Amino acid sequence: MQSWRRKSLWLALSASWLLVLLRVFPLLRLAVPARPWAGAPQGWPRWLDAELLQSFSQPGELPEDDPQLPQAPRGGSCDWGACFDVSKCRGGGLKVFVYPVAGPISDTHRRILASIESSRSRSVSPDEACILLLLSLEAPAGECIPVPQQWNGGRNHLVLSLHPAFCTQTFQLGQAMVAKASPMVDTFRPGFDVALPLLPEAHPLRGGAPGRLGQHSPHPGVPLLALAEERGGWRTAGPDSSACPWDGRCEQDRGPEQTHPGATLPNATFCLIPGHRPDALHFLQALQAGCIPVLLSPRWELPFSEVIDWTKAAIVADERLPFQVVAALQEMPPTRVLALRQQTQFLWDAYFSSVEKVIHTTLEIIQDRIFGASAHPSLLWNSPPGALLALPTFSTSPSDFPFYYLQRGSRPVGRFSALIWVGAPGQLPLKLIQAVAGSQHCAQILVLWSSEKPPPPRWPKTAVPLTVLEGQRKVSDRFFPHRAISTDAILSLDAQSSLTTSEVDFAFVVWQSFPERMVGFLTLSHFWDEARGGWGYTAERANEFSVVLTSAALYHRYYHILFTHYLPKALRALADEAPTCVDILMNFLVAAVTKLPPLKVPYGKQHLEARPPLAPEGLESQPPVQDCINRMAVEFGYMPLVSSRLRLDPVLFKDPVSVLRKKYRSLEKP
Amino acid sequence: MCASVKYNIRGPALIPRMKTKHRIYYVTLFSIVLLGLIATGMFQFWPHSIESSSDWNVEKRSVRDVPVVRLPANSPSPERGDLSCRMHTCFDVYRCGFNPKNKIKVYIYSLKKYVDDAGVPVSNTISREYNELLTAISDSDYYTDDISRACLFVPSIDVLNQNTLRTEETAQALAQLSRWDRGTNHLLFNMLPGGPPDYNTALDVPRDRALLAGGGFSTWTYRQGYDVSIPVYSPLSAEVDLPEKGPGPRRYFLLSSQMAVHPEYREDLEALQARHGESVLVLDKCTNLSEGVLWVRKRCREHQVYDYPQVLQEGTFCVVLRGARLGQAVLSDVLRAGCVPVVIADSYILPFSEVLDWKRASVVVPEEKIPDVYGILQSIPQRQIEEMQRQARWFWEAYFQSIKAIAMATLQIINDRIYPYAALSYEEWNDPPAVKWSSVSNPLFLPLIPPQSQGFTAIVLTYDRVESLFRVITEVSKVPSLSKLLVVWNNQNKNPPEDSVWPKIRVPLKVVRTAENKLSNRFFPYDEIETEAVLAIDDDIIMLTSDELQFGYEVWREFPDRLVGYPGRLHLWDHEMNKWKYESEWTNEVSMVLTGAAFYHKYFNYLYTYKMPGDIKNWVDAHMNCEDIAMNFLVANVTGKAVIKVTPRKKFKCPECTAIDGLSLDQTHMVERSECINKFASVFGTMPLKVVEHRADPVLYKDDFPEKLKSFPNIGSL
Repeated sequence: MQSWRRKSLWLALSASWLLVLLRVFPLLRLAVPARPWAGAPQGWPRWLDAELLQSFSQPGELPEDDPQLPQAPRGGSCDWGACFDVSKCRGGGLKVFVYPVAGPISDTHRRILASIESSRSRSVSPDEACILLLLSLEAPAGECIPVPQQWNGGRNHLVLSLHPAFCTQTFQLGQAMVAKASPMVDTFRPGFDVALPLLPEAHPLRGGAPGRLGQHSPHPGVPLLALAEERGGWRTAGPDSSACPWDGRCEQDRGPEQTHPGATLPNATFCLIPGHRPDALHFLQALQAGCIPVLLSPRWELPFSEVIDWTKAAIVADERLPFQVVAALQEMPPTRVLALRQQTQFLWDAYFSSVEKVIHTTLEIIQDRIFGASAHPSLLWNSPPGALLALPTFSTSPSDFPFYYLQRGSRPVGRFSALIWVGAPGQLPLKLIQAVAGSQHCAQILVLWSSEKPPPPRWPKTAVPLTVLEGQRKVSDRFFPHRAISTDAILSLDAQSSLTTSEVDFAFVVWQSFPERMVGFLTLSHFWDEARGGWGYTAERANEFSVVLTSAALYHRYYHILFTHYLPKALRALADEAPTCVDILMNFLVAAVTKLPPLKVPYGKQHLEARPPLAPEGLESQPPVQDCINRMAVEFGYMPLVSSRLRLDPVLFKDPVSVLRKKYRSLEKP
Repeated sequence: MCASVKYNIRGPALIPRMKTKHRIYYVTLFSIVLLGLIATGMFQFWPHSIESSSDWNVEKRSVRDVPVVRLPANSPSPERGDLSCRMHTCFDVYRCGFNPKNKIKVYIYSLKKYVDDAGVPVSNTISREYNELLTAISDSDYYTDDISRACLFVPSIDVLNQNTLRTEETAQALAQLSRWDRGTNHLLFNMLPGGPPDYNTALDVPRDRALLAGGGFSTWTYRQGYDVSIPVYSPLSAEVDLPEKGPGPRRYFLLSSQMAVHPEYREDLEALQARHGESVLVLDKCTNLSEGVLWVRKRCREHQVYDYPQVLQEGTFCVVLRGARLGQAVLSDVLRAGCVPVVIADSYILPFSEVLDWKRASVVVPEEKIPDVYGILQSIPQRQIEEMQRQARWFWEAYFQSIKAIAMATLQIINDRIYPYAALSYEEWNDPPAVKWSSVSNPLFLPLIPPQSQGFTAIVLTYDRVESLFRVITEVSKVPSLSKLLVVWNNQNKNPPEDSVWPKIRVPLKVVRTAENKLSNRFFPYDEIETEAVLAIDDDIIMLTSDELQFGYEVWREFPDRLVGYPGRLHLWDHEMNKWKYESEWTNEVSMVLTGAAFYHKYFNYLYTYKMPGDIKNWVDAHMNCEDIAMNFLVANVTGKAVIKVTPRKKFKCPECTAIDGLSLDQTHMVERSECINKFASVFGTMPLKVVEHRADPVLYKDDFPEKLKSFPNIGSL
C-alpha cells in the first residue's frame, strides 16, 4: 500500500507541476517586453470605441458653407484661368502679334522671328491677337525695353527670353506670361509661365545636331558618371571610382578621371548636374549626348515641365545624399537605364535641338492650354515622334495615330482606300481600277479628278464603292485629308500606275505590320554629290533606296494631315511647282517623323517594260527638279532621308518549290 | 534461457493484472507528463501566430482614456507656414537615410488629449476618418514604431477639419511634439481648410515647415513639390452601396448636384438648363421633405426628388463647382459614379495633381466660362468621353475610394520624391489595369539604326563537335562586320582544344567554359559581348554564306528590336486538339526564327537570363529543348513585334538535307516542340507570337541585274 500512496503522491505532484506550468507561462510571457517576442511592431491602437468616433465632417456642415465668389488674385500671382482671356483665341491657328523691335536686329532675335514665321500660328494685328509676344533680348547694360502701348497690364502677353539676361525692373510683369530659360522654382508660376531650356549662343535655327546616341544600351567601356564642371566642361569618373561625390571631396584620387575642357559632350551613362542655374547649360549637353541627367536639387524649373514627363528621362536627386545617389545609380536595373537613355534622345530631337523646335514647343504648350480638353494627351508629348508631329487636330486619342498602336494595344482598320489622282488628260485608269478593286482588302476607290477636262459621267462597275472627288488641280492636293477617306490606310496611285491585285494585297499585308511607314513599289535613292556640293537622287536601280514613289504607295492617312497642316506653305508651293518633288517631299516628311526608311515590296517586271518609268525621264537634265531635294534639305535643316538595303518579299518568293504552295504566286510572273 | 522464456510468457499477462491497481495511475501519469511537454513546446516554439490572431499586444483601450496634456497659455507656437519651402530646403533627407527597399519610414505619435489652462479641450480628440488614416499607415509597410529611425512623423493631432479645432492651441500642441523641430519632416492631413469669412485654401494652424497634405489648395497656397494635394473624403457616400455603371451616353449630358452654389453661378446653371432642356439637370436642396428622410441623400428639382449619390450615375458630365472652399467632396462622388467631373474652381489644385493626369479624366472650365460649358463639352468626341468616364472611375477606385487609399497615395508621392530613382512612372499612376494589360512598351522604343561600324558578336554554343565547330568559325569569320567570336563550351567533361588547333581568324576569339551543360548558357549576358548585335549560331550551321550573314546583320540594323534570323517556323492553332501546334513545313507564313542562326539585341540576353516569366528558364534547361522558342516568346511579348526571316535559305546543315534538318524530322521532336509552345503560352497568359507573310531579301534579289553589281550576290536559294 506504501507504493500506492507514493504513487498517488507522484501523481499529485506532477499534476500540480503541470498546473503551475500552465498558469505561470502566460504571466512570464507578459512580463517579457512584447517586441522581442512579437516581431510585429506595436502599431496604432485598435480603439474599443473606434466605431463610435464621429466623422470629421458632419452631414449638413458642408452645405452650410457660405458660398463666395473668388477673391481677386493676390499681387503678382497669376494662373491661366484668372489672367488669360481665351475669348480672343477662337478660330484656326494661334493668332500671334509680335512687337517690332527698334534698332538693330540681333541674331537670336532673327532666329526667333523666323521660327514664329514657320510655325502653324498666324500673325495678326495687335487688336485681334490672342497672344502678344514681347521679345526680351540681351539688352545692353541698363537698357530695357519700354512698356509697349497695348500692354494692358500684361494680359495675354507672353514675354519671351531665350537667354537669362532678363530685365524685369522697368515694368511690372503683372498678368503677362513669362517664357524664359531656366526660371527659378520660387518665382515660376506653374501652368502659367513656360520654362524654356537654357540654349547656347549658337543654337541652330532648324534641324539641329542629331542626338549622339549611336546605340540603345551603354557601351560596356563607358564610364558610369560624368560631372558637370563650373567652366562648362565635364569630368568623367571611371566605373570603379564609385562613391566619388561632387564636392571635390575626392580631389586627391583623381587618377582615373579625365577632364574635358570646353563644351564637349560628356561620354558617360549618367551626368551629374549641380542645381545652380549656370549649370542648366549642361543639361542640354547631357540630353544631346544621351547621358542621363542626374539633377542635384535643381533650383530651376526643368524646361517644358508642364508637358514633358522628366521622370522618364532624368533623375532629380537630393544633393545632400551623394553616396546614396551614386549607389542607386550603380544598382539601377538595365531596363531603366535603357529607357532613360532613349528618352533623352527622343526629347532632344523632338523639342530641343533647334531654336525653331523650342519656339514651336512653347507655342504648342499655350495652344494646348487654349484647347483644354482637346489638347495633346500626355502620351503624345512623351513618346516618339512627340507632340510637334502628332497633332491633336487629327485625334485626341493616341490609338488613332500610326505610332502608338502597340503601346495602346490597338490596330489599324483592316482595309485600305485607293486614292487615284488623275492629273493630265489621258486614258482612264480602268485597268488599274479593276486590279485594285479586286483586292480583298480594298474598302473604297476615290478618284481625285484634277484634270482640265470634266470627269466622265460613267465609271466601270466595281466590287467596292467608287467616288469621284473634284481636285484643285494642284499636285499637293493629292495629300489633302479628304473627308471621303474612310480607312486608316491609303493606297496612293496615279492614272499611269500599273499594279496587279496580288501586288496590292501583299503590300497591304506588309503595311499592317509597319503602319507608321510608307510601303512602296518603285524607289529612288538619294546621295551626296561631292562634285556639285549638294544632294542628288537617282532612279537607277541600286542596292539601296531611300524614297518610294507616291504614284504607288501605301501609308497611313495621318500623313495627309501632317502634309497639309504641318509642312510650311513654302514647301508645299515648291511641290506644286515641280510635281516630281512631291514624292520627295512626302518621303522627307515621313522620314522626319519616323526616322526610318520606307519599305519596298516586289514589283513585277512587266510593268516596267510596259510603260515609261514612273520617275520622270531625264532627271539629270532638269536642274530645278534636281534642286528641290536641296531646297527641302535646307527647309528641314537637315537630310531626313534614311536608306534601306532590303526588300520585303513573300516568304516563298521565287523559291524553287511548287507554285501551288505559294500564296502570292502571280507576283513571280516573268 | 528458460527463465527468460518464462518472463516473456508472463510479460503480456502483467498488464491485465495491473488493471485492477496501477493501470489508471500509469496512464494518468504518462498523459500528464506528455501534456506538460506539449504545452511547454507550444509556448516555446509557436508564439507568433497565437499572438497576432488574438491581438495580444495591441492594447484594447478607449479613446476617452488617453492621457491628457495641459498646454500652458504661454507655451511656444510654431511660425506660420513657410511658403518658400521645397524638399531640398525644408525637408531633412538625412533622417530617411540609406534604405535598400527605397521606402520611407513613418512614425505616428501616440494619441493624447490636449487641453488648455482652463481644462477646455483644444479639439475633438480624433475623428473616425483620422483614426482610419492612422490605422492604415500603421498597417502599411511604411510604419515604424522606432522614433529614432523614422523619416516622416505623423502627429496624432487631428486637423482634418479646421472648424473642429482651435487654431492657436492646436499649433501649441504641435510645437510640443517630441521631434517637432520646426515641423521638419512632419506631415499633417487636412481636408477642410479655412473658415468663415474668408476661407483660406490651406490649413490656418501655424505649422512652420511641416508638409501639408491638404484638400482644397489653390495655386497661391500650394507649395509645388512640397505639399500634397489630396481629395476631400465623402463619408456619406461611402455608406451607400453603388453598383458600378459602365461608360457610355447617359440620360443627362450635364448634371449639377451641389446644394451650396453661389446664387450667381446657380443662375448661370439654371440658364443652361433652360436653354438645353432635358439634357441638363440642375439639382438643389429639397425643401419639403417629410420627417425621417435623410435630407443630405436627396436632391430636388422643382418637386421631383432624386436620390443622391445615385443620380450622379445618370450624368455624362457632372459639375464640380467651388463653394466657399475649393475642394469639394462631391468630386469623389462624381468620380465614383463614372461621371466626368467638370471642375469649375479657378486656381484649384486637383487632388494628387503631382502624379495624376487629370486631363484624362476631367474637364477644367474657368469660372467665367460657365455659360459656355455646354458648348465646350459638346466639342469632345464621344470616344474621348467614354475614355474619360473609364478613367474617372479608375481614379476613384485607386486613389479616392477609402481613407486608406488616400493615405497610401499621399505617402507614395512623398516616397517618390525622396527615392526618385525608384519612383512610380506616369503609366503606373495613370493607366487603368486594362490598359496596363493590353499595352506593350517596347524596351527599345527609340527609332535608331545603329552604326555599321559597331559590328556584331557571334556566339557559338558547342558541346563536342569540334570539326564542325571549326568550320562554322571559319565561315563566320569571313563576314566583314564580325567584331568578336565567342565560343560557349558547354562540355564539362572535356577540355576545349588547344589554342594552337583553333582556326586563325582576324577577330578576337574567346572561349567561355560553363559550369553546367545548360541550354540557357547560350543566352547568358557575358561581359565579353561588347556589341549590341549578337549572332547566335549553332556549331553545325555550315551552309550560311558570308553574304547572307552580312546581309542579316544589315537587316538587324534596320530592325534592332527584333529577332532577325534564317530558319523560319510557324505556330498554328490545331482545331482538332484545341491547342497550339509547331509547324516546320515551308509555309507562306512565319512567326518564329530559330536561334540556331539569328541576330538579336544583347539586351534580350539579359531579359532571358533574369526576367524570363515563370519557370520557363528552368523548364527549358531541364528538358534540354525549346530555348529558341522561349526566346521568340520573350522578344515578341516584350516588343509586340514579329520576327524577320532573312533570305530564302531553308537548309543549313548540308545540301542534301531535307527542309527540316536531321533532328527536326523526328516525330517525337515535333510533339515536344508543340508542347513547348503550349506550355509557354500558358505561362505568358497569352500568345505573343505574331504571324507575318514577308521575309527580307536584298533589294535586287533575283532581279534582272548584273550579279557583280549587287551588294549581296551570294544568296542561296534554299
